[in-house]
Amino acid sequence: MTATANGTDAARDIVVIKDLRKSFGNVEVLKGIDLAVAAGEAVVIVGSSGSGKSTCLRCINRLEEPTGGRITVGGQEITGRKVDLNALRRRIGMVFQGINLYPHMTALGNVTLAMRKVAGLSKAAAEEKARHHLDLVGLAHRADAYPAQLSGGQQQRVGIARAMALEPQVMLFDEPTSALDPELVGEVLNVMMRTKQLGMTMIVVTHEMQFAREVADRVVFMDEGKVLDVGTPHEILVEPRHQRIRDFVNRTRT
Amino acid sequence: MDEIIRYFFDFSRLSGYWPDILHGFLITVEMSILTVAIGIPLGLLLAVLRLYGIRPLNALIIFYIDLFRSIPQLVLIILAYFALPFSGLVLSPFTATVVALSMVLSAFAEEIFWAGITSVPKGQWEAGRSTGLGFNQTLAYVVLPQAIRLGIPPLTNRAIGISKGTTLGSVVAVPELLNVTSSIQSNVANPTALTVGAMLFLALFLPFVRFTRWLERAYGHPRH
Repeated sequence: MTATANGTDAARDIVVIKDLRKSFGNVEVLKGIDLAVAAGEAVVIVGSSGSGKSTCLRCINRLEEPTGGRITVGGQEITGRKVDLNALRRRIGMVFQGINLYPHMTALGNVTLAMRKVAGLSKAAAEEKARHHLDLVGLAHRADAYPAQLSGGQQQRVGIARAMALEPQVMLFDEPTSALDPELVGEVLNVMMRTKQLGMTMIVVTHEMQFAREVADRVVFMDEGKVLDVGTPHEILVEPRHQRIRDFVNRTRT
Repeated sequence: MDEIIRYFFDFSRLSGYWPDILHGFLITVEMSILTVAIGIPLGLLLAVLRLYGIRPLNALIIFYIDLFRSIPQLVLIILAYFALPFSGLVLSPFTATVVALSMVLSAFAEEIFWAGITSVPKGQWEAGRSTGLGFNQTLAYVVLPQAIRLGIPPLTNRAIGISKGTTLGSVVAVPELLNVTSSIQSNVANPTALTVGAMLFLALFLPFVRFTRWLERAYGHPRH
């Protein structure tokens, strides 16, 4: 009931992207993206490689600088010169295809670094919270292991814990399982599913169609820098309305 | 065999010279420590400054490191001692040698740190920045520890190589170990003093090499 106090759904949108454009030199890779993601929603972005999915995701925490358009996160404009990037990024968790754990720190050290240096928690408080988040990804017993001592799947779960521990308003997943051996993909997807069940707002770029079908509230299909279609997993991946999407789905099914 | 012992191990000839030798050794130790203690941090500072990409500053830094990597240390020591006074800066032989060697070491150290920093993958920066760490924080906590670790073996080599250049201080009459022991050699017409010098150089640099091996391990992180 209280959710309707502001009347519109727009009030519940955590991420709003309007006419997002991005060029690298003369090549325009994003040609006007519009997308709104509501609180607690899991949106999966699919599309062939080169369609601009990752670039779009990376614009949301400004690892890529948008060339045009507007993005708001939690009602705050993130584009523009006056934005405090560090404060913005603290509210946006990111999980990378390349995992990018700090190799010189333990799993616990990886999770606590930003909690201590950005959120300003004491060592003890950060470690307690970090252990909780490592527990959520099933790695409490590996807190003192270095990344090189962990499997790829375990590393990526630490990567998720590192981002989640800052309690972001939205989590961005940039092809989180693409660099993993096939048998390690499942454990990471399970953790992502649990993250969704905890009520986290998620935007996921992935090639895992089964994950998209089972976990996504909505699927966005990107093609050549534009959003070709948005809908339920069924509308996009099971009975696609566009020939291009049907071709894509048939290709990925094999 | 007797010949060798008579020429190189006749310690009786050195009585009365031991205080000089000890003094020379201490000066060599001091110069080596100062060269490393100034040269390496200065190199790190230059590498970090270069990272901010301020064009005119970077041009200066690159000029500095190219210059000091090209000029022979001996020439630099002579210039520092004999040429600087013309610009009003008079340095003692000791200071001139330390300044010249530290600058050379800092130039090489800068290149080593720079190579280390640029070989840390871009994803490490992105991971740090994505959690809200600022540029300086990401540099300090994420990138530099990895870069420094990569730099330790080549830095060790450079630091030892250049510290051994303290012997070049003899050209401006620094009473360092080689200078002292070679004068004794001429005085007593016997090279035993040089044997002692060589052993003392070993005594100085072997622990140094050992220490840096330990450093490599301490800074390392498990691979398996």
